[in-house]
Amino acid sequence: MKYIKDSDREYITNKYHDASKHWDGHQRFVRNDELFSANGGKEPDDILEGIMGNDALYAKFPHPVRKARALEYVLKNTRISCDERDRFPAINMIDRPLSKTIIKKWRDEVFTEIIPDIEAKRRQLEQHGIVTIWPDYDHSVPVWDRLFSLGFVGILEESEKIRASKERTAEEDSFFEGIKITYEAILAFLDRLYAIATTPKMKNALVSLRHGAPQSFYEALLLSYLYFMISEHIDNLQVRSLSGFDASFYEFYKKDLGNGISEEEIRTDLAYYLLQFTAIGNYWNQPVYFGGEHADGSTVINDLSYLFLDVYDDMNIYNPKIQIKVCESTPKDFLRKALDMIRRGRNSIVFVSDRTIRKAQENTGISSEEARTCNITGCYEYSPQGSYVAGMNYLNMLKPLEYALHGGCDGVTGSFSGMQSPELSYYTTFEKLYEEYKRHLLHGINVTVETVNGFEGYLSKINPLSMLSATFPSCLKKAKDAIGGGGCYNDSVLAFGFLADITDSLMMIRKYVYERKDITLSELVDVLDKNYEGKEILRRKLLEDREKWGNNKERPDAIAVDLVHYITEKLCGRSNSRDGTWNCGFHVARMSYTQGKLTAASANGRRFGEELSKNISASMGQNREGATAAILSATKIDATSFTCDAALDLGLLPVAVKGEDGLEAMYGLLMTFVKRGGHALQINAFDADTLRDAQSYPEKYQDLQVRVCGWNALWNNINKEEQDGFIRQAEALA
Amino acid sequence: MRAIIFAIKHFAVHDGDGIRTTVFFKGCPLRCVWCHNPEGLTAKPQVAYYAHKCIGCGECQKKGFATENCLGEARVLYGKDVTVDALLPALLEDRDFYENSGGGVTLSGGECLMQADFCAELLKRLKENGIRTAVDTCGYAERDAFDKVIPYTDIFLYDIKAYDEAIHEKCTLRSNKKILDNLQYLDSLGKNIEIRIPYVPDCNSDQMEKIAIFLSGLKHITKVKILPYHNCAGSKYAALNMTNTLPSRLPCQEELYTARDLIRRITKVEVYF
Repeated sequence: MKYIKDSDREYITNKYHDASKHWDGHQRFVRNDELFSANGGKEPDDILEGIMGNDALYAKFPHPVRKARALEYVLKNTRISCDERDRFPAINMIDRPLSKTIIKKWRDEVFTEIIPDIEAKRRQLEQHGIVTIWPDYDHSVPVWDRLFSLGFVGILEESEKIRASKERTAEEDSFFEGIKITYEAILAFLDRLYAIATTPKMKNALVSLRHGAPQSFYEALLLSYLYFMISEHIDNLQVRSLSGFDASFYEFYKKDLGNGISEEEIRTDLAYYLLQFTAIGNYWNQPVYFGGEHADGSTVINDLSYLFLDVYDDMNIYNPKIQIKVCESTPKDFLRKALDMIRRGRNSIVFVSDRTIRKAQENTGISSEEARTCNITGCYEYSPQGSYVAGMNYLNMLKPLEYALHGGCDGVTGSFSGMQSPELSYYTTFEKLYEEYKRHLLHGINVTVETVNGFEGYLSKINPLSMLSATFPSCLKKAKDAIGGGGCYNDSVLAFGFLADITDSLMMIRKYVYERKDITLSELVDVLDKNYEGKEILRRKLLEDREKWGNNKERPDAIAVDLVHYITEKLCGRSNSRDGTWNCGFHVARMSYTQGKLTAASANGRRFGEELSKNISASMGQNREGATAAILSATKIDATSFTCDAALDLGLLPVAVKGEDGLEAMYGLLMTFVKRGGHALQINAFDADTLRDAQSYPEKYQDLQVRVCGWNALWNNINKEEQDGFIRQAEALA
Repeated sequence: MRAIIFAIKHFAVHDGDGIRTTVFFKGCPLRCVWCHNPEGLTAKPQVAYYAHKCIGCGECQKKGFATENCLGEARVLYGKDVTVDALLPALLEDRDFYENSGGGVTLSGGECLMQADFCAELLKRLKENGIRTAVDTCGYAERDAFDKVIPYTDIFLYDIKAYDEAIHEKCTLRSNKKILDNLQYLDSLGKNIEIRIPYVPDCNSDQMEKIAIFLSGLKHITKVKILPYHNCAGSKYAALNMTNTLPSRLPCQEELYTARDLIRRITKVEVYF
């Protein structure tokens, strides 16, 4: 790593947690030992207690004020540290202290006292494995350009100015008061950091941020880092993008060069900044995106985009993760650079089709300017700047089929879904079964919408988002919290999982029960109930049959397309309870494992509990007609008919992507996917032998990384079951 | 018009420029000891049996079983009778990929020019559909076979296996006279030619310099590709119940680089693997 000294790297990678010990990326705990004790501050347990004690003083105030006071309390008392080996301060975050204290209290009040029936329903759906739902404080993106142009000071001043511009109701006033306390607390926190800063560079930057907007590339990085740390780790709101980096940081970069700051220094600052996120090590990886188009149609890709990839590649890291908005104007050599990284195993990069996401947004009435400048957030989702899209709702598309085949009951537990189905003898044709499947799917959609609508209206009471709202112009204008309908758009998303498994299961039933009549429906249900016990040959038949989704086969693809169409028709555009509408997406996150464990054996040869398919990709090990067929199938789905994701996970063999031919072929695949209207494409390039070897000799593969599902993980950090899934995927390609 | 083919491969990336679909024609006049497509040698259909893939469904024991219905693909029929009309849709499926990568369709084999009339018709139809075409040939064909396909072929992928006739005969059971003549003929017509040289240790590995000198006398070689010998086809010989003629020694990287540098120096043409 040429930009960071070894000793500095060691310090930074140990700054947030002990790098020598096993690290669970789901945690946010930051170490709390001698690294932090020198500069005062309180013990974590004392802070948690102190938050509640402090809150008692403000018990009569509205929630935004009380939360802001709690944030202020933590910023005054949490331990901080600076070290010459680092260019960014260390902040002890104590694993989201507000979430453990006042937010927990308010959450409990809402869910157990105000809407206990909704909570009971939510838990029931989750236990059944049909829908996993949780309140979404995980998908915020501040309007970064306002932060960069105004600084913390300017954001506060502007909020106060708008607050004073007219008469305010008590509720409106508390909204602005929450912002005022929050941003004043941030400014006071900058003073604390200034007092312990070890280098003139950091001291000067803190002074600059204390009094106004960032003036240099480094100051903008520092602001970004501080905003991220405070929001994500204290304010209980994940920051799901570090901005469109090449658009947002370019002016700072140019200004620095004009001021005689060397490019080497800029690269070094960037490397230290990136390493912070590597070291924090969130499981889901920290997103940052590139590319897109300017209003005049020219590409956003600039010198800084290339510089970023250079530094990132040199560091051999996978966190932050990178998204690239690909348009026809995106320079080919930039995409080739990214594709080359991917084929070398540095594949923490996803490509998002700019044309598709713009059209999808415009279809719903979003202006073309808002669509052009939209953020890529999370894995590959997208939404206009200043919007709050909530979407931690995952529907398991296989469950409605279990219900249809079991009189309305779950295929694993036997518990009742809430809607009865006829006896199996009723399904004299495939069409009758398919209709009943859709009826249960719709029921699943309806109960999800009802449940989520039942609690989303309370989210701004549970966790008011002053820090974020202050960056949203529409929130200031409406004097409304970002999560309470203040965003310019406030959609809710229901993600539908396992399109491939349900399509293939329906296809196999149609073929083997209704067409070939190899087995009756009741016999098949019996086989599935017994998890294919004693029926291995039938299972292998169903597994090996090639008429499956993702292989450019007419019949299964028609089912998948019909299901997507049905979902968009039944869900998109319905009202949510935050002044927004409902939308659908097809990401599965970790649900392919977690919901997979709760899902009965399926008619596509999958056994009970096994991993389910990812995103809109083929079932595990079923992309057997290769990359072009996978793309042809995926792009049959109209990804502009909804405004969330439809990502394709593409497996490629190293032999197919080697050399100049291979790189050109990758570029050809990508551009075909983009031009045919695909949404997002992510690539794994490895062969089964290498992965088997890596499973046997993990020590030889310390830096082998794999694209899991919108994020990357080290091979050695995923469990055997997940590793087996990747091996099966690679085997199918051979 | 009909032809016998043994495979269609989508997303072929090393059979010419860009993303291609390659059609493998069955039947070959040569018998290269290192042949990695033994299923392409005879012009008759063959059924291979890959025992480890059998899922035990018993379908193949039933009356009227067709090999293509073997679900585990344990039984594979190599040799399908096709018409141009039947073949064309499958080749046009990936048209967007061709356009975005500078790719197209490659006719290969076996030796596709053993079925030159069919190839000419197919290539013509592909050109009518705006598809770039390549013919991958061992060069051992009659002059008129070339004449039939030349008008519709954008590039020839042309194998040269040895310069010395005796070596060529030893490795392929055929003389290379026709092959070298045909190459000079194509070159004289100004056709685009990519030369492909299999590098097989102890078989043709001492021929590199002579091949390069021969090539340096030609004008339209756009590229030379060395195909390092691999022995992955062993299981196919077994499945087809054919005598495995594959040499045992694989080339090492050093000798491949030496060959590449040598050919590059003599031909002044870019040499790839």
